[in-house]
Amino acid sequence: MIELKDVSKLYNEGRPNEVRALVDVNLVIERDKVTVFKGPSGSGKTTLLSIVGCLSRPTTGRVFLGGDLVSGLPERFLTEIRRSTYGFVFQRFHLVRGLTVLDNVMLPAYPLAPPHAELRERAMARLESLGLADKAAMPVEHLSGGETQRAAIARALINDPRIVIADEPTANLDTALTERFLEIVAELRAEGRTVLMTSHDPRIWQSDLVDAVIEMRDGRVVGEF
Amino acid sequence: MTAPFARQRYLIDYTLAALARRRGKNTGLVVIYTAVVFVLASAMLFASAIRYEATTVLADSPELIVQELVMGRHGMLPAAHLDKLAEIRGVQGVEGRLWGYFYDRANGANYTLMVPGKDAAEHSVGPGEAIIGEGLARSRGFEEGGALLLVSQTGKLLKARIKSVLSSDSALVSADLALISEPDYRRFFELPDDVYTDAAVAIRNPREIEKIVEKATYALPSARFVTRSDIARTYESLFDWREGLLIALAAAAILAFAIFAAEKSSGLSAEEAREIGILKAIGWDTGDIIAMKLWEGGLVSLAAFLVGTVLAYVHVYLFDAGLFEPVLKGWSVLYPDFSLAPRVDGLQLATLFVLTVVPYTAATLVPIWRTAITDPDEVMR
Repeated sequence: MIELKDVSKLYNEGRPNEVRALVDVNLVIERDKVTVFKGPSGSGKTTLLSIVGCLSRPTTGRVFLGGDLVSGLPERFLTEIRRSTYGFVFQRFHLVRGLTVLDNVMLPAYPLAPPHAELRERAMARLESLGLADKAAMPVEHLSGGETQRAAIARALINDPRIVIADEPTANLDTALTERFLEIVAELRAEGRTVLMTSHDPRIWQSDLVDAVIEMRDGRVVGEF
Repeated sequence: MTAPFARQRYLIDYTLAALARRRGKNTGLVVIYTAVVFVLASAMLFASAIRYEATTVLADSPELIVQELVMGRHGMLPAAHLDKLAEIRGVQGVEGRLWGYFYDRANGANYTLMVPGKDAAEHSVGPGEAIIGEGLARSRGFEEGGALLLVSQTGKLLKARIKSVLSSDSALVSADLALISEPDYRRFFELPDDVYTDAAVAIRNPREIEKIVEKATYALPSARFVTRSDIARTYESLFDWREGLLIALAAAAILAFAIFAAEKSSGLSAEEAREIGILKAIGWDTGDIIAMKLWEGGLVSLAAFLVGTVLAYVHVYLFDAGLFEPVLKGWSVLYPDFSLAPRVDGLQLATLFVLTVVPYTAATLVPIWRTAITDPDEVMR
């Protein structure tokens, strides 16, 4: 379970361009469920996910993961949590250009230094399950939009995380690819993972797969369904 | 493979891939870096080799040279002074020397004409014979077995058969040298028999040189005494000055490089910063990022250091430091054309390494560290 208590986030604090991205957010996210954050651009969805995923710290408030306070931990502990607990699919996927699909998928496991053959096998299995095995040796910049998304998902799963965070995963995908993505989410849920997503897309938050929808506006939670 | 080694292997793999991805930028960097190392290494290698050359030559020079001063200037030394010097206890031997300069209008060069010492058996010349330096031979097209022809300002002709051309081993001080016999020398310069240019004094115990100079000063109040260490100091300061010139040139190159490194240290490109943010977001810690960038900086700087040093070695020892010759070899018209004996000084290499690799690596680490300790979300935005 993830719990946020009175979480606020200010960007550019004290400067003329100060932005209040989150305002006193109190929220409980259940484990092993699919939760979607919806709301217009600038409503704070992405900021909320980055705080939950330990990619940034709240300006005020506390974040608990499995009952443990994580928001005040030093960076090295946050890195460890990111590495062992979370898998991220970023809005723009953020694959490393110039590297092959396989290398990109293996990247999160490098600091853990598993035997190379084992890591390669694991990465290939992920690509196989996502229908990308034949693209393994291809530089990522040569992939189509759907393929790039699946490569990003494979990378997010390489360390077998309990929680998968996806920020606007279907923003640039057509209907067929969105449906394929929902199938992947169903598989993740079936594997017992918690999935957190932001989305503008009604096809996502109206899907039967989704257990909870949290609506946000102006940095505040305005509804939970 | 243990985990720390395996981890470093993964980091090196990633580093190599990163270097390959930014091939153009990294190639440019290595080229600039190599050029700086090359200039600096060339200066250091050449200055060291030329100083060694001078030291080697000076090792055979006399312990004490006595010159007559006339109105504060170097005059001819009367032969009678040699006997006075020989009488001083501790003096092993005294030899009058004959040497001087000759301006050759034919090529606008100054030659050093000299009568070889008695103990220089391998350079002994009889009347009508000459041994010449390779610079002189080269400039006038003289060859062994040919004739050395010089005409003095008063019309005296020196004609001598060239017995041999001096090897390049001592070219630094012998390039413009012509060794001729005493009778030929006196005739050519119209010099009386009872004077010498100066005298070389051999000392039994070199530790007593100061005492002997003291006695000799008393015996010959109008003479000047130059010890071997005085000459060595003069050479040393001369080469220090020239090396200083070159180091100044190298310093300009280093300054340019420092500006380049400082520019690099002032910030990362948006792409590099985003990449660091991505790596941090997916589980790399600050130590992994810094280690990876250390490998990157290390590989770049080590490659530049090795290539620059090897090129400098080739430049100095195979191509006789053609780029720096005029600065370092002095004002003589006849530049020596010699090959320096290859010498690699570990301390110099270490200094070069510290001057080039360490500042670059440190300069590049600062922005990396700054970015790596920032929240990934902020870096990726």
